Amino acid sequence: MNDEQINGAIITFFSTSSAVGKTLISINMASELARQGYSVCLADFDLQFGDVKNYLHLHAEHSITTLCDIIKTNGQHPLTPLLSTYSYGHVSFQVVPAPAKLEEAYNLEPETIIEVVRRLRCQYDYIIVDTTSMFSVLNLALLDISTIVTFLGIVDFIPTIKNMKIGNDTLRTLNYDANKIRLVLNRSDAKTRIDLQDVVRILGENFYHILPNDYESARQSIATGVPLVLSGHDSALARELRNLVGRYTNKGYMEDTPTKSSSWLTKIFN
Amino acid sequence: MMIHNIMLVEGNRLMLEQLSNVIKNTQGVDLVARFREASEALGQGIVFMPNIILLDADNSNIINLLTEFRRVFPTASIICTGEKWNAESSNLCINAGAKCFLVKPFSSEELRDAIMSFSTSFADARSNVLTFFSPKGKSGKTTLIANLAMSLARRSGGSVGIIDADLQFGDMAFFFNLKPQSTIVEAARDKDFLSPVSLNSYFVPVAKNVSILCGTKEPSLIDKVGIPAFEALVKMARTMFNYLLIDVPAGFNPTSIAAAEMSDTTYIVAMLNGGYEVQHIQRALEIFKSWPNYQSRVKTILTRVEPCNITSKQQMEEVIGYPVEGIIPNAFLKVSAAADDGHMALDLDPDSTFAQRVNFLAKKIMNYKQDDSDDF
Repeated sequence: MNDEQINGAIITFFSTSSAVGKTLISINMASELARQGYSVCLADFDLQFGDVKNYLHLHAEHSITTLCDIIKTNGQHPLTPLLSTYSYGHVSFQVVPAPAKLEEAYNLEPETIIEVVRRLRCQYDYIIVDTTSMFSVLNLALLDISTIVTFLGIVDFIPTIKNMKIGNDTLRTLNYDANKIRLVLNRSDAKTRIDLQDVVRILGENFYHILPNDYESARQSIATGVPLVLSGHDSALARELRNLVGRYTNKGYMEDTPTKSSSWLTKIFN
Repeated sequence: MMIHNIMLVEGNRLMLEQLSNVIKNTQGVDLVARFREASEALGQGIVFMPNIILLDADNSNIINLLTEFRRVFPTASIICTGEKWNAESSNLCINAGAKCFLVKPFSSEELRDAIMSFSTSFADARSNVLTFFSPKGKSGKTTLIANLAMSLARRSGGSVGIIDADLQFGDMAFFFNLKPQSTIVEAARDKDFLSPVSLNSYFVPVAKNVSILCGTKEPSLIDKVGIPAFEALVKMARTMFNYLLIDVPAGFNPTSIAAAEMSDTTYIVAMLNGGYEVQHIQRALEIFKSWPNYQSRVKTILTRVEPCNITSKQQMEEVIGYPVEGIIPNAFLKVSAAADDGHMALDLDPDSTFAQRVNFLAKKIMNYKQDDSDDF
């Protein structure tokens, strides 16, 4: 891996259970980074049922399918004109939406998608990536290429925690730098009977950051299509989202995170 | 119905008596002869015209014996019996011409299932294969499948099998607090020398007439279950149960597609969470519409529907533009409380809406005619 190629930081949101808030949080991270003046591209790689476009009420002309087609037919063609722009007030960032048609999603090749990300990272300060909740070939390649992986969890009941534990252990076997994987807890459903300390004990690791429960704000944000950090309403969740972004933009954390070309799991899955 | 004439060959005196009793108590079979020595059976057995031979396989010479028995009784089916099941000996017996391998002492039901599995005339017709597909995950389908399985078993008196093919994060074993010795990984590994009877030993019984083939223990094992192996397991399992319920990973992937293709009915299950679940269902339906008979093969079930009544159901049908087969109320608190204590939220108050809705679905699967007032 050539270090000089790495320009923008790739921040991937990953989880082992669905509906933990990956999309909502990645949208807010993209928004907050853009608000601070960074150039940001948000990519929806839940290819089949991605919700980024829905949550932002975005009408996009192109999707990742177009980008992959371009890369395969004409490697030199610039990608940026094919991205969709989300703007709210003075803040704007670019979006790579999931395919419009489900059958397109099924036919995209992981290598081509990774090539798109490689190309985009040369043009943006931050690439924010939303994923699906499984160790697929695409997701493993995305984890490899990412600067930071935000492993997002919720505490609702024990099966979710079991999957979080399995997922975290599996991530650790990929031998990334400890600093690359960051465990973030989203208290999206506070109606739980489980003690946080027990979860920490099971995982054998502390959470890097904890987001407060604020179901109503989250629900409203999805309904209106306006990210929490941009809506102007002060809420505990918006505050903690900003704090999380603040910790991520500390460039001291971002240095020296070599990406590995392949891992045992990637090999197994191939 | 064909009468099965069984010749029992068993070296152990006590086991011979025990197995004889089981055979005598099994409907549709006749015990026509029994021997302690294989050589005697080979010499004298033919006068009793057996068409099924139960042969003691705890014998170092079993492979040669099998060859001899097949020569002397060319039209009979041979079932090997052993005190302990193990893949290797089962494999050897089946390669040497046995139809299957039974662990002894077996029950009447196991014997009948074994015989049924190779007299295919009425094996396949009786099974109903149901796949539970969710577009995005977090659909509540694990809870639904488990409760539906219990309800089906209880109401129909038939056997119900569950295959947890949610290969990376299957929760079925966890929900039932099982620590299975064998899972879908081992079953896939052994598929070439399994018969429906031996596959049965990979299923873990969880209640009367309900058993589960558990999912992988860790995500990296997923590649141990190839699609051809998975298809072979489903084909075999459908001869073993009246109802076969398959839990698959979220979205369209080789596993979920293979399961759907092999199923009589595919349920699209989604949990209403105030997001874009309806669009996801519609997208999934678009894909399934490539089947010419999709209207009879693809059905939708919505979970966490509040209020869980016929008005909600009709509203959802209108929004989705497709019939809704069943609706399930929010059971999160009960389900999570039970799961946290290490068991499944089953046998919830029979008068609860949850239980009523699950039972309603079970009766629909069984083709019961249901009261109109109950019909939502």
